Amino acid sequence: MSESAGAAAAGAEGAGDGSRPGDRTSRRGIFGRIALFVRQVFAELKKVVRPTRSELITYTTVVLVFVAVVMAFVTVIDLGIGLATGWIFGG
Amino acid sequence: MLSAFVRAFRTPDLRRKLLFTISIMVIFRVGSFIPTPGVDYGNVQQCVASMDGTNDLLGLVNLFSGGALLQLSVFALGIMPYITASIITQLLRVVIPRFEALHKEGQQGTAQLTQYTRYMTIGLAILQSTTVITVARNNLLFPECPVPLIPDDSVTTIVLMVITMTAGTALIMWLGELISERGIGNGMSLLIFTSIAATFPGAMWSIAGGENGLTNFVIVMLVILLVIALVVFVEQSQRRIPVQYAKRMVGRKMYGGSSTYIPIKINMAGIIPVIFASSLLAIPGLAAQFGDQTAGWVIWLSTYVAAPEAPLHIALYLVLIIFFAYFYTAITFNPDEVADNMKKYGGFIPGIRAGRPTAEYLDYVISRITAPGSVYLAFVALIPLLVFIWLGVGANIPFGGASILIVVGVGLETVKQIESQLQQRHYEGFLR
Repeated sequence: MSESAGAAAAGAEGAGDGSRPGDRTSRRGIFGRIALFVRQVFAELKKVVRPTRSELITYTTVVLVFVAVVMAFVTVIDLGIGLATGWIFGG
Repeated sequence: MLSAFVRAFRTPDLRRKLLFTISIMVIFRVGSFIPTPGVDYGNVQQCVASMDGTNDLLGLVNLFSGGALLQLSVFALGIMPYITASIITQLLRVVIPRFEALHKEGQQGTAQLTQYTRYMTIGLAILQSTTVITVARNNLLFPECPVPLIPDDSVTTIVLMVITMTAGTALIMWLGELISERGIGNGMSLLIFTSIAATFPGAMWSIAGGENGLTNFVIVMLVILLVIALVVFVEQSQRRIPVQYAKRMVGRKMYGGSSTYIPIKINMAGIIPVIFASSLLAIPGLAAQFGDQTAGWVIWLSTYVAAPEAPLHIALYLVLIIFFAYFYTAITFNPDEVADNMKKYGGFIPGIRAGRPTAEYLDYVISRITAPGSVYLAFVALIPLLVFIWLGVGANIPFGGASILIVVGVGLETVKQIESQLQQRHYEGFLR
Protein backbone atom coordinates (compact mmCIF):
# COMPACT_ATOMS: atom_id res chain seq x y z
CA MET A 1 0.00 0.00 0.00
CA SER A 2 2.70 2.38 0.96
CA GLU A 3 4.40 1.52 -2.32
CA SER A 4 1.55 2.75 -4.49
CA ALA A 5 0.98 5.77 -2.28
CA GLY A 6 4.65 6.58 -2.50
CA ALA A 7 4.57 6.28 -6.27
CA ALA A 8 1.56 8.54 -6.45
CA ALA A 9 3.19 11.09 -4.18
CA ALA A 10 6.40 10.97 -6.16
CA GLY A 11 4.45 11.35 -9.37
CA ALA A 12 2.72 14.37 -7.99
CA GLU A 13 6.02 15.69 -6.69
CA GLY A 14 7.72 15.24 -10.01
CA ALA A 15 4.88 16.72 -11.99
CA GLY A 16 5.33 20.39 -11.31
CA ASP A 17 8.12 22.56 -10.12
CA GLY A 18 5.83 23.91 -7.48
CA SER A 19 5.63 20.65 -5.59
CA ARG A 20 5.67 20.93 -1.85
CA PRO A 21 7.95 18.76 0.24
CA GLY A 22 5.92 15.79 1.37
CA ASP A 23 4.68 16.48 4.84
CA ARG A 24 2.60 13.33 5.00
CA THR A 25 5.73 11.21 5.17
CA SER A 26 5.41 10.64 8.91
CA ARG A 27 2.65 8.11 8.40
CA ARG A 28 4.81 5.76 6.35
CA GLY A 29 7.01 3.01 7.58
CA ILE A 30 10.74 3.38 7.44
CA PHE A 31 11.08 1.53 4.12
CA GLY A 32 8.27 3.51 2.60
CA ARG A 33 9.99 6.70 3.60
CA ILE A 34 13.32 5.56 2.17
CA ALA A 35 11.62 4.56 -1.09
CA LEU A 36 9.91 7.92 -1.25
CA PHE A 37 13.18 9.72 -0.60
CA VAL A 38 14.92 7.79 -3.36
CA ARG A 39 12.11 8.58 -5.76
CA GLN A 40 12.30 12.25 -4.85
CA VAL A 41 16.05 12.17 -5.40
CA PHE A 42 15.54 10.81 -8.90
CA ALA A 43 12.80 13.35 -9.56
CA GLU A 44 15.23 16.13 -8.65
CA LEU A 45 18.03 14.56 -10.66
CA LYS A 46 15.84 14.66 -13.75
CA LYS A 47 15.67 18.43 -13.45
CA VAL A 48 19.44 18.81 -13.39
CA VAL A 49 20.87 20.67 -16.36
CA ARG A 50 23.80 18.70 -17.68
CA PRO A 51 26.66 20.11 -19.73
CA THR A 52 26.58 19.30 -23.41
CA ARG A 53 29.03 16.97 -25.03
CA SER A 54 31.14 19.71 -26.58
CA GLU A 55 31.16 21.65 -23.33
CA LEU A 56 32.34 18.58 -21.48
CA ILE A 57 35.12 17.99 -23.99
CA THR A 58 36.30 21.62 -23.93
CA TYR A 59 36.34 21.82 -20.16
CA THR A 60 38.12 18.50 -19.81
CA THR A 61 40.80 19.49 -22.32
CA VAL A 62 41.26 22.89 -20.74
CA VAL A 63 41.67 21.33 -17.31
CA LEU A 64 44.08 18.76 -18.70
CA VAL A 65 46.17 21.41 -20.44
CA PHE A 66 46.18 23.63 -17.37
CA VAL A 67 47.24 20.79 -15.09
CA ALA A 68 49.89 19.66 -17.57
CA VAL A 69 51.30 23.18 -17.88
CA VAL A 70 51.46 23.71 -14.13
CA MET A 71 52.93 20.26 -13.63
CA ALA A 72 55.63 20.82 -16.22
CA PHE A 73 56.41 24.25 -14.80
CA VAL A 74 56.64 23.01 -11.22
CA THR A 75 58.77 20.05 -12.27
CA VAL A 76 61.26 22.29 -14.05
CA ILE A 77 61.38 24.68 -11.11
CA ASP A 78 61.79 21.77 -8.70
CA LEU A 79 64.67 20.34 -10.67
CA GLY A 80 66.43 23.68 -10.61
CA ILE A 81 65.85 24.32 -6.94
CA GLY A 82 66.74 20.74 -6.08
CA LEU A 83 70.10 21.11 -7.80
CA ALA A 84 70.69 24.45 -6.13
CA THR A 85 69.86 23.21 -2.63
CA GLY A 86 71.92 20.10 -3.19
CA TRP A 87 74.83 22.29 -4.17
CA ILE A 88 74.40 24.71 -1.26
CA PHE A 89 73.59 22.32 1.59
CA GLY A 90 75.05 19.10 0.27
CA GLY A 91 78.57 20.22 1.05
CA MET B 1 43.09 27.71 -27.20
CA LEU B 2 46.73 28.53 -27.27
CA SER B 3 45.88 31.94 -28.61
CA ALA B 4 43.76 32.45 -25.51
CA PHE B 5 46.85 31.86 -23.38
CA VAL B 6 48.78 34.34 -25.49
CA ARG B 7 45.99 36.87 -25.18
CA ALA B 8 45.92 36.31 -21.44
CA PHE B 9 49.56 37.34 -21.33
CA ARG B 10 48.99 40.27 -23.69
CA THR B 11 46.47 41.90 -21.40
CA PRO B 12 48.59 44.02 -19.06
CA ASP B 13 46.36 43.69 -16.02
CA LEU B 14 45.92 39.97 -16.37
CA ARG B 15 49.59 39.47 -17.18
CA ARG B 16 50.54 41.17 -13.93
CA LYS B 17 48.19 38.94 -11.98
CA LEU B 18 49.41 35.77 -13.67
CA LEU B 19 53.07 36.63 -13.20
CA PHE B 20 52.43 37.52 -9.58
CA THR B 21 50.75 34.17 -8.99
CA ILE B 22 53.51 32.28 -10.74
CA SER B 23 56.26 33.99 -8.77
CA ILE B 24 54.51 33.21 -5.50
CA MET B 25 54.26 29.58 -6.58
CA VAL B 26 58.01 29.63 -7.21
CA ILE B 27 58.68 31.07 -3.75
CA PHE B 28 56.47 28.36 -2.31
CA ARG B 29 58.47 25.67 -4.06
CA VAL B 30 61.81 27.19 -3.03
CA GLY B 31 60.75 27.08 0.60
CA SER B 32 59.82 23.44 0.25
CA PHE B 33 63.44 22.63 -0.46
CA ILE B 34 65.30 24.66 2.15
CA PRO B 35 66.05 22.39 5.09
CA THR B 36 65.08 23.38 8.59
CA PRO B 37 68.08 24.25 10.80
CA GLY B 38 69.13 21.30 12.91
CA VAL B 39 68.36 18.76 10.20
CA ASP B 40 71.20 16.88 8.63
CA TYR B 41 70.53 17.52 4.95
CA GLY B 42 72.76 14.75 3.66
CA ASN B 43 71.17 12.15 5.92
CA VAL B 44 67.65 13.20 4.96
CA GLN B 45 68.48 12.91 1.28
CA GLN B 46 69.97 9.49 1.87
CA CYS B 47 66.85 8.35 3.75
CA VAL B 48 64.43 9.72 1.17
CA ALA B 49 66.38 8.01 -1.60
CA SER B 50 66.49 4.70 0.25
CA MET B 51 62.76 4.63 0.83
CA ASP B 52 60.49 2.87 -1.67
CA GLY B 53 57.05 4.39 -2.06
CA THR B 54 55.64 6.74 0.48
CA ASN B 55 55.17 6.32 4.17
CA ASP B 56 51.67 4.92 4.61
CA LEU B 57 50.59 7.07 7.49
CA LEU B 58 52.09 10.37 6.58
CA GLY B 59 51.27 9.90 2.91
CA LEU B 60 48.42 12.37 2.70
CA VAL B 61 50.10 15.03 4.81
CA ASN B 62 53.26 14.63 2.81
CA LEU B 63 51.26 14.89 -0.40
CA PHE B 64 49.61 18.13 0.64
CA SER B 65 52.98 19.61 1.47
CA GLY B 66 54.35 18.62 -1.94
CA GLY B 67 56.89 16.21 -0.53
CA ALA B 68 58.29 18.90 1.76
CA LEU B 69 57.34 17.02 4.91
CA LEU B 70 59.67 14.10 4.36
CA GLN B 71 62.42 16.55 3.45
CA LEU B 72 61.82 18.28 6.81
CA SER B 73 62.08 21.59 5.01
CA VAL B 74 61.11 25.04 6.21
CA PHE B 75 57.67 24.59 4.61
CA ALA B 76 57.34 21.02 5.87
CA LEU B 77 53.81 21.52 7.14
CA GLY B 78 52.62 23.04 3.91
CA ILE B 79 49.23 24.64 3.86
CA MET B 80 47.62 21.87 5.92
CA PRO B 81 47.36 23.79 9.23
CA TYR B 82 45.64 26.66 7.43
CA ILE B 83 43.14 24.32 5.79
CA THR B 84 42.41 22.59 9.06
CA ALA B 85 42.03 25.92 10.84
CA SER B 86 39.64 27.31 8.27
CA ILE B 87 37.56 24.15 8.30
CA ILE B 88 37.44 24.28 12.09
CA THR B 89 36.39 27.95 12.08
CA GLN B 90 33.61 27.11 9.68
CA LEU B 91 32.49 24.16 11.74
CA LEU B 92 32.62 26.25 14.91
CA ARG B 93 30.00 28.55 13.43
CA VAL B 94 27.49 25.84 14.27
CA VAL B 95 28.68 25.54 17.84
CA ILE B 96 29.63 29.06 18.88
CA PRO B 97 26.90 31.67 18.37
CA ARG B 98 29.47 34.49 18.31
CA PHE B 99 31.10 33.01 15.20
CA GLU B 100 27.75 32.81 13.45
CA ALA B 101 26.99 36.40 14.44
CA LEU B 102 30.37 37.50 13.08
CA HIS B 103 29.71 35.66 9.84
CA LYS B 104 26.41 37.45 9.39
CA GLU B 105 27.96 40.83 10.16
CA GLY B 106 29.40 41.13 6.69
CA GLN B 107 32.83 42.29 5.74
CA GLN B 108 34.08 43.32 9.14
CA GLY B 109 32.88 40.14 10.78
CA THR B 110 34.51 38.05 8.09
CA ALA B 111 37.77 39.89 8.66
CA GLN B 112 37.51 39.07 12.35
CA LEU B 113 36.86 35.43 11.52
CA THR B 114 39.90 35.38 9.23
CA GLN B 115 41.90 36.75 12.11
CA TYR B 116 40.74 33.89 14.35
CA THR B 117 41.60 31.43 11.59
CA ARG B 118 45.13 32.82 11.45
CA TYR B 119 45.64 32.50 15.19
CA MET B 120 44.34 28.97 15.07
CA THR B 121 46.68 28.20 12.19
CA ILE B 122 49.66 29.25 14.29
CA GLY B 123 48.46 27.09 17.17
CA LEU B 124 47.94 24.09 14.90
CA ALA B 125 51.30 24.70 13.24
CA ILE B 126 53.07 24.58 16.61
CA LEU B 127 51.23 21.38 17.43
CA GLN B 128 51.92 19.72 14.09
CA SER B 129 55.55 20.80 13.85
CA THR B 130 56.15 19.39 17.32
CA THR B 131 54.53 16.13 16.19
CA VAL B 132 56.57 15.95 13.02
CA ILE B 133 59.83 16.71 14.80
CA THR B 134 59.06 14.15 17.51
CA VAL B 135 58.36 11.55 14.85
CA ALA B 136 61.58 12.46 13.06
CA ARG B 137 63.60 12.44 16.28
CA ASN B 138 62.36 9.01 17.28
CA ASN B 139 63.38 7.82 13.84
CA LEU B 140 59.80 6.88 12.92
CA LEU B 141 59.74 9.00 9.78
CA PHE B 142 62.02 6.54 8.01
CA PRO B 143 61.88 3.40 10.16
CA GLU B 144 64.44 1.57 8.02
CA CYS B 145 66.93 4.38 7.74
CA PRO B 146 69.91 4.00 10.09
CA VAL B 147 71.34 7.55 10.04
CA PRO B 148 69.90 10.16 12.44
CA LEU B 149 67.89 12.97 10.86
CA ILE B 150 68.46 15.38 13.69
CA PRO B 151 71.98 14.82 14.97
CA ASP B 152 71.87 17.37 17.78
CA ASP B 153 68.61 16.93 19.67
CA SER B 154 69.12 19.42 22.44
CA VAL B 155 66.11 21.46 23.55
CA THR B 156 67.41 24.63 21.90
CA THR B 157 67.62 22.97 18.51
CA ILE B 158 64.17 21.42 18.81
CA VAL B 159 62.63 24.74 19.85
CA LEU B 160 64.40 26.46 16.98
CA MET B 161 63.00 23.87 14.57
CA VAL B 162 59.46 24.25 15.90
CA ILE B 163 59.71 28.02 15.57
CA THR B 164 61.10 27.75 12.04
CA MET B 165 58.39 25.42 10.81
CA THR B 166 55.66 27.49 12.43
CA ALA B 167 57.06 30.63 10.83
CA GLY B 168 57.16 28.77 7.52
CA THR B 169 53.47 27.96 7.85
CA ALA B 170 52.68 31.57 8.66
CA LEU B 171 54.59 32.63 5.55
CA ILE B 172 52.67 30.13 3.40
CA MET B 173 49.43 31.47 4.83
CA TRP B 174 50.45 34.97 3.84
CA LEU B 175 51.50 33.84 0.36
CA GLY B 176 48.14 32.16 -0.11
CA GLU B 177 46.28 35.26 0.94
CA LEU B 178 48.41 37.38 -1.36
CA ILE B 179 47.42 35.18 -4.30
CA SER B 180 43.75 35.48 -3.43
CA GLU B 181 44.09 39.22 -3.10
CA ARG B 182 46.27 40.20 -6.03
CA GLY B 183 46.66 37.13 -8.18
CA ILE B 184 44.35 34.71 -9.90
CA GLY B 185 42.19 32.17 -8.16
CA ASN B 186 41.95 31.13 -4.56
CA GLY B 187 45.43 31.19 -3.02
CA MET B 188 44.92 28.37 -0.59
CA SER B 189 43.67 25.93 -3.18
CA LEU B 190 46.27 27.01 -5.73
CA LEU B 191 49.06 26.26 -3.28
CA ILE B 192 47.65 22.79 -2.55
CA PHE B 193 47.34 22.36 -6.28
CA THR B 194 51.00 23.27 -6.71
CA SER B 195 52.07 20.81 -4.04
CA ILE B 196 50.06 17.98 -5.53
CA ALA B 197 51.23 18.78 -9.04
CA ALA B 198 54.81 18.67 -7.77
CA THR B 199 54.44 15.05 -6.67
CA PHE B 200 52.75 13.84 -9.87
CA PRO B 201 55.75 13.31 -12.15
CA GLY B 202 57.61 11.26 -9.56
CA ALA B 203 54.57 9.07 -8.99
CA MET B 204 54.08 8.56 -12.73
CA TRP B 205 57.71 7.63 -12.99
CA SER B 206 57.44 5.10 -10.20
CA ILE B 207 54.38 3.48 -11.81
CA ALA B 208 55.99 3.33 -15.22
CA GLY B 209 59.16 1.93 -13.73
CA GLY B 210 57.46 -0.79 -11.69
CA GLU B 211 56.70 -4.33 -12.82
CA ASN B 212 54.63 -4.47 -16.02
CA GLY B 213 54.94 -0.71 -15.85
CA LEU B 214 53.65 0.18 -19.28
CA THR B 215 50.29 -1.58 -18.92
CA ASN B 216 49.80 -0.16 -15.44
CA PHE B 217 50.77 3.28 -16.61
CA VAL B 218 48.25 3.20 -19.44
CA ILE B 219 45.49 1.89 -17.18
CA VAL B 220 46.21 4.51 -14.51
CA MET B 221 46.21 7.30 -17.09
CA LEU B 222 42.90 6.06 -18.52
CA VAL B 223 41.34 5.90 -15.06
CA ILE B 224 42.56 9.41 -14.33
CA LEU B 225 41.19 10.70 -17.61
CA LEU B 226 37.81 9.11 -16.92
CA VAL B 227 37.72 10.49 -13.39
CA ILE B 228 38.62 13.96 -14.65
CA ALA B 229 35.82 13.82 -17.22
CA LEU B 230 33.40 12.61 -14.54
CA VAL B 231 34.41 15.38 -12.15
CA VAL B 232 34.06 18.02 -14.85
CA PHE B 233 30.67 16.61 -15.80
CA VAL B 234 29.31 16.69 -12.27
CA GLU B 235 30.86 20.05 -11.41
CA GLN B 236 29.24 21.59 -14.46
CA SER B 237 25.78 20.14 -13.87
CA GLN B 238 23.32 22.30 -12.03
CA ARG B 239 19.83 22.04 -10.68
CA ARG B 240 18.42 25.41 -11.60
CA ILE B 241 15.68 26.73 -9.40
CA PRO B 242 13.82 29.41 -11.33
CA VAL B 243 13.44 32.76 -9.61
CA GLN B 244 11.19 35.51 -10.83
CA TYR B 245 11.83 39.08 -9.80
CA ALA B 246 8.88 41.40 -9.47
CA LYS B 247 8.99 44.71 -11.26
CA ARG B 248 9.21 47.67 -8.98
CA MET B 249 9.80 51.36 -9.12
CA VAL B 250 12.57 52.92 -7.09
CA GLY B 251 12.41 56.66 -7.62
CA ARG B 252 11.93 57.04 -11.34
CA LYS B 253 13.72 53.91 -12.33
CA MET B 254 12.26 50.54 -13.03
CA TYR B 255 14.01 47.59 -11.44
CA GLY B 256 13.60 43.87 -11.71
CA GLY B 257 11.09 42.06 -13.78
CA SER B 258 13.74 39.61 -14.82
CA SER B 259 13.75 35.89 -14.35
CA THR B 260 16.89 34.12 -13.27
CA TYR B 261 17.67 30.95 -11.43
CA ILE B 262 19.56 29.81 -8.38
CA PRO B 263 22.20 27.41 -9.60
CA ILE B 264 22.51 24.50 -7.22
CA LYS B 265 25.44 22.25 -7.87
CA ILE B 266 25.00 18.55 -7.27
CA ASN B 267 28.02 18.59 -5.04
CA MET B 268 27.89 21.91 -3.25
CA ALA B 269 30.42 20.96 -0.61
CA GLY B 270 33.30 20.70 -3.10
CA ILE B 271 36.35 18.81 -1.97
CA ILE B 272 36.17 19.74 1.71
CA PRO B 273 34.39 16.51 2.78
CA VAL B 274 37.12 14.42 1.18
CA ILE B 275 39.91 16.44 2.79
CA PHE B 276 38.21 16.32 6.12
CA ALA B 277 37.40 12.61 5.98
CA SER B 278 40.96 11.73 5.03
CA SER B 279 42.45 13.93 7.74
CA LEU B 280 40.18 12.34 10.33
CA LEU B 281 41.09 8.87 9.10
CA ALA B 282 44.77 9.73 9.37
CA ILE B 283 44.43 10.21 13.12
CA PRO B 284 44.25 6.51 14.11
CA GLY B 285 47.34 5.85 12.03
CA LEU B 286 49.21 8.68 13.70
CA ALA B 287 48.08 7.46 17.11
CA ALA B 288 49.41 4.03 16.27
CA GLN B 289 52.77 5.60 15.42
CA PHE B 290 53.23 6.74 18.99
CA GLY B 291 52.15 3.52 20.67
CA ASP B 292 54.24 0.47 21.36
CA GLN B 293 54.54 -1.23 17.97
CA THR B 294 53.85 -4.69 19.39
CA ALA B 295 50.81 -3.81 21.52
CA GLY B 296 47.52 -5.44 20.49
CA TRP B 297 45.60 -2.24 19.85
CA VAL B 298 48.38 -0.79 17.71
CA ILE B 299 48.44 -3.85 15.48
CA TRP B 300 44.64 -3.88 15.28
CA LEU B 301 44.57 -0.18 14.40
CA SER B 302 47.21 -0.39 11.73
CA THR B 303 45.80 -3.50 10.03
CA TYR B 304 42.08 -2.71 10.17
CA VAL B 305 41.74 1.05 10.38
CA ALA B 306 44.88 2.74 9.11
CA ALA B 307 45.58 0.53 6.10
CA PRO B 308 43.90 2.04 3.04
CA GLU B 309 42.84 -1.31 1.64
CA ALA B 310 41.15 -2.56 4.82
CA PRO B 311 37.35 -2.92 4.39
CA LEU B 312 36.68 -1.10 7.66
CA HIS B 313 38.85 1.80 6.51
CA ILE B 314 36.97 2.03 3.21
CA ALA B 315 33.59 1.84 4.92
CA LEU B 316 34.56 4.54 7.43
CA TYR B 317 35.86 6.70 4.60
CA LEU B 318 32.55 6.39 2.72
CA VAL B 319 30.42 7.17 5.75
CA LEU B 320 32.58 10.14 6.73
CA ILE B 321 32.53 11.60 3.22
CA ILE B 322 28.75 11.35 2.96
CA PHE B 323 28.31 12.81 6.42
CA PHE B 324 30.61 15.74 5.79
CA ALA B 325 29.05 16.38 2.38
CA TYR B 326 25.70 16.96 4.05
CA PHE B 327 27.20 18.78 6.98
CA TYR B 328 29.25 21.16 4.90
CA THR B 329 26.42 21.84 2.47
CA ALA B 330 24.25 22.74 5.44
CA ILE B 331 26.93 25.14 6.67
CA THR B 332 27.65 26.84 3.37
CA PHE B 333 24.13 27.15 2.00
CA ASN B 334 21.55 28.55 4.32
CA PRO B 335 18.05 28.24 2.80
CA ASP B 336 16.56 30.71 5.30
CA GLU B 337 19.12 33.33 4.38
CA VAL B 338 18.60 32.85 0.64
CA ALA B 339 14.82 32.94 1.04
CA ASP B 340 15.12 36.09 3.12
CA ASN B 341 17.31 37.80 0.55
CA MET B 342 14.95 36.84 -2.25
CA LYS B 343 12.04 38.29 -0.33
CA LYS B 344 13.98 41.50 0.28
CA TYR B 345 14.59 42.04 -3.41
CA GLY B 346 11.15 40.98 -4.51
CA GLY B 347 12.09 37.61 -5.90
CA PHE B 348 10.08 34.43 -5.70
CA ILE B 349 10.10 30.90 -7.01
CA PRO B 350 7.07 30.46 -9.29
CA GLY B 351 4.44 28.48 -7.44
CA ILE B 352 6.01 28.85 -4.02
CA ARG B 353 5.17 31.58 -1.58
CA ALA B 354 7.92 33.85 -0.33
CA GLY B 355 9.41 33.45 3.10
CA ARG B 356 9.19 30.19 5.00
CA PRO B 357 7.70 28.00 2.23
CA THR B 358 10.54 29.11 -0.05
CA ALA B 359 13.12 28.19 2.55
CA GLU B 360 11.45 24.83 3.01
CA TYR B 361 11.41 24.22 -0.72
CA LEU B 362 15.09 25.12 -1.05
CA ASP B 363 15.88 22.83 1.83
CA TYR B 364 13.87 20.06 0.17
CA VAL B 365 15.73 20.41 -3.12
CA ILE B 366 19.13 20.62 -1.48
CA SER B 367 18.69 17.63 0.77
CA ARG B 368 17.52 15.59 -2.24
CA ILE B 369 20.25 16.79 -4.61
CA THR B 370 23.04 16.35 -2.06
CA ALA B 371 22.29 12.64 -1.78
CA PRO B 372 23.63 11.76 -5.24
CA GLY B 373 26.27 14.47 -4.74
CA SER B 374 27.69 12.82 -1.65
CA VAL B 375 27.56 9.39 -3.25
CA TYR B 376 29.43 10.79 -6.26
CA LEU B 377 32.05 12.30 -4.00
CA ALA B 378 32.57 9.03 -2.15
CA PHE B 379 32.69 7.18 -5.47
CA VAL B 380 35.31 9.48 -6.98
CA ALA B 381 37.35 9.35 -3.80
CA LEU B 382 37.29 5.58 -3.75
CA ILE B 383 37.47 4.36 -7.35
CA PRO B 384 41.08 5.34 -8.01
CA LEU B 385 42.03 3.84 -4.67
CA LEU B 386 40.39 0.53 -5.54
CA VAL B 387 41.91 0.45 -9.01
CA PHE B 388 45.37 1.10 -7.66
CA ILE B 389 45.05 -1.56 -5.00
CA TRP B 390 43.85 -3.95 -7.69
CA LEU B 391 46.84 -3.07 -9.87
CA GLY B 392 49.12 -3.28 -6.87
CA VAL B 393 50.77 0.07 -7.50
CA GLY B 394 50.25 1.33 -3.97
CA ALA B 395 47.24 3.16 -2.67
CA ASN B 396 49.03 6.20 -1.44
CA ILE B 397 50.38 7.50 -4.67
CA PRO B 398 49.08 10.99 -5.28
CA PHE B 399 46.45 9.93 -7.80
CA GLY B 400 43.99 9.13 -5.06
CA GLY B 401 40.51 10.48 -5.49
CA ALA B 402 41.14 13.36 -3.11
CA SER B 403 43.99 14.79 -5.12
CA ILE B 404 42.27 14.33 -8.49
CA LEU B 405 39.23 16.12 -7.11
CA ILE B 406 41.38 18.96 -5.81
CA VAL B 407 43.38 19.27 -9.00
CA VAL B 408 40.35 19.27 -11.29
CA GLY B 409 38.34 21.54 -8.99
CA VAL B 410 41.12 24.10 -8.67
CA GLY B 411 41.94 23.85 -12.36
CA LEU B 412 38.35 24.51 -13.38
CA GLU B 413 37.96 27.37 -10.94
CA THR B 414 41.19 29.08 -11.94
CA VAL B 415 40.61 28.71 -15.67
CA LYS B 416 37.13 30.13 -15.25
CA GLN B 417 38.52 33.12 -13.39
CA ILE B 418 41.08 33.82 -16.10
CA GLU B 419 38.27 33.36 -18.61
CA SER B 420 36.02 35.90 -16.93
CA GLN B 421 38.91 38.35 -16.73
CA LEU B 422 39.45 37.91 -20.45
CA GLN B 423 35.80 38.34 -21.21
CA GLN B 424 35.72 41.60 -19.32
CA ARG B 425 37.86 42.87 -22.17
CA HIS B 426 35.65 41.28 -24.79
CA TYR B 427 38.09 38.65 -25.73
CA GLU B 428 37.14 35.16 -26.53
CA GLY B 429 38.47 32.94 -23.80
CA PHE B 430 39.43 29.31 -23.62
CA LEU B 431 35.91 28.07 -23.19
CA ARG B 432 34.07 28.62 -26.39
